[in-house]
Amino acid sequence: METALTLNHFLFVSGVLFAIGLAGVLVRRNLIIIFMCLELMLAAANLTLVAFSRFNVQDGQPNYDGQVLLFFIITVAAAEVAVGLAIIVALFRTKETTDVTKVNTMKY
Amino acid sequence: MPVYYLEIIVVALGLLMLMVDAFVKLEDKRSIAWIGMLGLVVVFALLFVVKWPASTEGAFWKFYSSGDKLALYFKGIAVLTTLIVLVMAVDYTPTILAQIANPEAGAHRQAGLGEFFALPMFACAGLMWMASANNLVSIFVSLETVTIAFYIMVAYLRRNVGSLEAGVKYLILGALSTGFLVYGFAWLFGITGSMQLSEISTALAKPDINTTTALFTFGLILVALAFKVGAAPFHLWIPDVYQGAPTPITAFLSVGSKAAGFIVMLRLVSPFLASAELVGKVTLVLTVVAVLTLLVGNLAALPQKNFKRLLAYSSIAHAGFLVMALASSPRAGGNSALTPVAVIAFYLGAYLLMTLLAFLVMTSLRTKISGEDLDSFRGLAKRSPFLAFAMLVAMSSLAGIPLTAGFFGKLFVFKLAVESQHWVLLTVGLIGAAAGFYYYLKIAASMFLSDSGKGQIDLPAISVSPLAKIAMVALMVAIILAGFNPGLILGLFV
Repeated sequence: METALTLNHFLFVSGVLFAIGLAGVLVRRNLIIIFMCLELMLAAANLTLVAFSRFNVQDGQPNYDGQVLLFFIITVAAAEVAVGLAIIVALFRTKETTDVTKVNTMKY
Repeated sequence: MPVYYLEIIVVALGLLMLMVDAFVKLEDKRSIAWIGMLGLVVVFALLFVVKWPASTEGAFWKFYSSGDKLALYFKGIAVLTTLIVLVMAVDYTPTILAQIANPEAGAHRQAGLGEFFALPMFACAGLMWMASANNLVSIFVSLETVTIAFYIMVAYLRRNVGSLEAGVKYLILGALSTGFLVYGFAWLFGITGSMQLSEISTALAKPDINTTTALFTFGLILVALAFKVGAAPFHLWIPDVYQGAPTPITAFLSVGSKAAGFIVMLRLVSPFLASAELVGKVTLVLTVVAVLTLLVGNLAALPQKNFKRLLAYSSIAHAGFLVMALASSPRAGGNSALTPVAVIAFYLGAYLLMTLLAFLVMTSLRTKISGEDLDSFRGLAKRSPFLAFAMLVAMSSLAGIPLTAGFFGKLFVFKLAVESQHWVLLTVGLIGAAAGFYYYLKIAASMFLSDSGKGQIDLPAISVSPLAKIAMVALMVAIILAGFNPGLILGLFV
């Protein structure tokens, strides 16, 4: 049976994912959770890319350019996590906290 | 030699430095920095002899623009910045070692120093690649290469709370801007059906473009780029990160990261500005950002007591002038030789010279004077006339006093605003420049006038390392020469 999923459905879901991620970054205080929310934003972008790629059919083929960018995003995100978690661990070792509100020694 | 060899050489140099650090028994690891510096000097010389390919067939050229003089100029900026950052890093070594050394383990007493010299090389390669990127994929990958290298460098002093705090702030906000950027890229791909900047430009110029979606996409990308260049209202991370990061890295951030942001901005915003349907609203948004940035940067700099924070606000202010240039794209039919692109390129060149000079003076001071407060500049003219003069040149140029490179940078921006009849922008820009005179010359005044303070006279004269001295003299000469004849810089890319 043919499903009636359209491009808009995918864009809506990815928009919601992006909004959840952004809200998490702004609201949550634990660095690890903030980092997870950042990954969620990247996932939203990936979903958007795949959706646009799949629905942008040229000569009976999806436009694969979008899916190529997706693989680069996954790779770069992995590198970012590797560096990011290391920095968070280093911070935890010196300050014994991952709460962003306690990371505020510099003031105006 | 084909032009893309340059990036390969820089990456190979970085790897070589890591290998030397790991496998060669060195008494003084500062010699690793020498490999990098020598290599970068060679790369800089090669910039003048590289050839563009006759044919641009093949998949590679979909990611790499060809025949672009501006790209070479930006590559030159990247190489020069990295070179001077390495010079600073060598002077800064004692501070790094004090903050990362592990006293209990029987490691080499300079363990962990080598990477500090190697990482800027990778950032440099990313910057150079970005100058030629003409595809969303290559823009994204090169930008992230730079950003991730910067995450490590900012948080490098891993026993120093300030550096770690700066690192975490930069990490979270940098990753946030990456999120906005890729989401914007996804939408840009969606509405144009292409990753190629030239094709995106054609698609956006079509009259049947969906303006709402296009403006939404522009908004996402602008948020991301405003983070990268430090434009208001997304500038909040800049002062903290600049203050906490190791000084050579602060210099690298303020020049390299800013240049990177503006290169990407030029490439990504131009297609929107070229579209007749979008240009009005896009210009309006850019104008608002420019006005906010100019006001925030210049006015918040006035009461600053910490020199690095002052330079951070100054860097926000300069971002304001650059966005102002971008917002004043000439009205249709304008036939001026000074395009926003040329003005921004010139401004970035001048900004590089004067900012790096200021940071060089600061690294030389930092090892001798404990603080980085503005008070530590008191009576500097007595203690080291050379450093005081270098600082004076840097500050005059940053303020935009005639006969310095910075003057022509600001002049060109104002000229552009007049030609495109952006009177609001012009007024705010002039207010910003006037405020700039106060806080830049405040530093200069304290160096020369307040030498009657108690105890200051007893302090010994400051010696400057020969390498830093050469770099400072070269930068001063360049600032003053470009102040007499801006054609010297303009001739490199027009």
